[in-house]
Amino acid sequence: MLEIRNITVRYPGMKHNALNSINLTIHPGDFVCVLGKSGAGKSTLIRCLNGLQTPSSGEIIWDGQSFSALSDEQLRKIRREMGMIFQHFNLIPRLTVLQNVLTGMFGFRSSFKNLIGWFTDEEKAQAKQVIAEVGLTDFADRRVEHLSGGQKQRVGIARALLQNPSFLLGDEPVASLDPGTSDRIFSLLQEMHERHKLQTIINVHDVQLAKRYATRIIALKDGEVVFDDKPEQFTDDMYVFTYDAESYGEKSYIRST
Amino acid sequence: MWFKKRSILTYFVLALFVYLSMRLTEFDLSKFKDFRNMIDFLSHWFPMDFSLLPKILEDSLETLAMAFLGSFFGLIIGLPLSFMAAKNTSGSKLIYHLTRVSLSFVRSIPEIVFGLILLTALGLGPFPAVLAIMFHNIGVLGKLISELIEASDPGPQEAMKAVGAKSWFASLFSILPQIWPNVLSNYFYRFEVAIRTSLILGFIGGGGIGQRLFNDFKTFQYSSVSLDVLVIMIIVVLVDLFGSYVRNRVI
Repeated sequence: MLEIRNITVRYPGMKHNALNSINLTIHPGDFVCVLGKSGAGKSTLIRCLNGLQTPSSGEIIWDGQSFSALSDEQLRKIRREMGMIFQHFNLIPRLTVLQNVLTGMFGFRSSFKNLIGWFTDEEKAQAKQVIAEVGLTDFADRRVEHLSGGQKQRVGIARALLQNPSFLLGDEPVASLDPGTSDRIFSLLQEMHERHKLQTIINVHDVQLAKRYATRIIALKDGEVVFDDKPEQFTDDMYVFTYDAESYGEKSYIRST
Repeated sequence: MWFKKRSILTYFVLALFVYLSMRLTEFDLSKFKDFRNMIDFLSHWFPMDFSLLPKILEDSLETLAMAFLGSFFGLIIGLPLSFMAAKNTSGSKLIYHLTRVSLSFVRSIPEIVFGLILLTALGLGPFPAVLAIMFHNIGVLGKLISELIEASDPGPQEAMKAVGAKSWFASLFSILPQIWPNVLSNYFYRFEVAIRTSLILGFIGGGGIGQRLFNDFKTFQYSSVSLDVLVIMIIVVLVDLFGSYVRNRVI
């Protein structure tokens, strides 16, 4: 169980809070999709969960530990528990799929071993195992810049899974992918969510995808939670309110930059 | 549409600068009436005297070694400094500014001044020349690479932090692969420049083919001068070709 208590984030030079006194509890088994307009605070929320963003006030409590008072070393331990995938994949260029996936273990090893790239056969076997799970076995030795967008995100997911995390965080993981690929990535995420008993929290713009895969939808507007319930409850009116849309019909593509 | 009246002033100022600079540099094309002297002079360069070729090649090897060692040590020392001199990777503002200032300080001192100073302690020869090239290249490569680091994509760095890697390691591991091809092309360019610099340093007693060129010139051995120049040109072209070969292999 992950508790978010009274989290407020204010970026320097900004008039309004990016997040305004957010209170949430994430339960085991939750597959949460976070909806909201660009600038509503979705990314900020996700980035607070693994300490990439430090909240201005409030605290996050997981496993009896409060994030607000962590040393660098403790923060690194927390991050190992939180696999993260990104909109632009954030893979290391000029390295192969296998090499990129192995970086998922970096938090568990000494920087010296990481630097020279020394891995045991067992570690390599683990990496190959997750590469197989995301369906990229044939591409393991291919350099990542030669892959398609969907394949790149699969590498990102494999890297996150190699951390053997308790949480999977996604910051708009399908916003750069076409609809068919997005759907396949979500179905892979759902499969991994169940197989690895994860708690999954993903930002997404595509309401249809969220309704299809999430067990719970949270909608943010101007830094505040305006909806937190089962996907069936997210009505067309709620959609119009969340996105300040004219009507449900004009949904199409609303993207963050 | 794109011609603005205000630009007339710009053109006028530019023309003024050109005129003033020509006055200061005694730029005068009519001086070419003595063009024949140059032809006459160059005619003494040929035929080339190949009898000294083995000695010339030996000296070129020394020049290559000087340029390589100086620029390579410059890279080895400049690379870590560049991470301290880049906004996104230097730990603190103090380190950032301190490294920036020191880098531009060593960069602002011309190699020949370094050479002349070091000569007093180390005596004539290639060793002070290597150090002079090294110091200057620490400054130049440190600055150039720090700019590559600042322009690199922050995404991979964030991903490496997110897997729980130490912060310094996350920066190093995610940025180095991104900038490596450009680091190499900057390095090879500096290597090429270092060859030309080592020629100048040869004039002040730094050894190598530069010193031979200078001596041949001063003793009117023009048939050797021409061969020296030819060998130098070949070396520069070869280094350039080797540089692009390595860079293409790396990309």
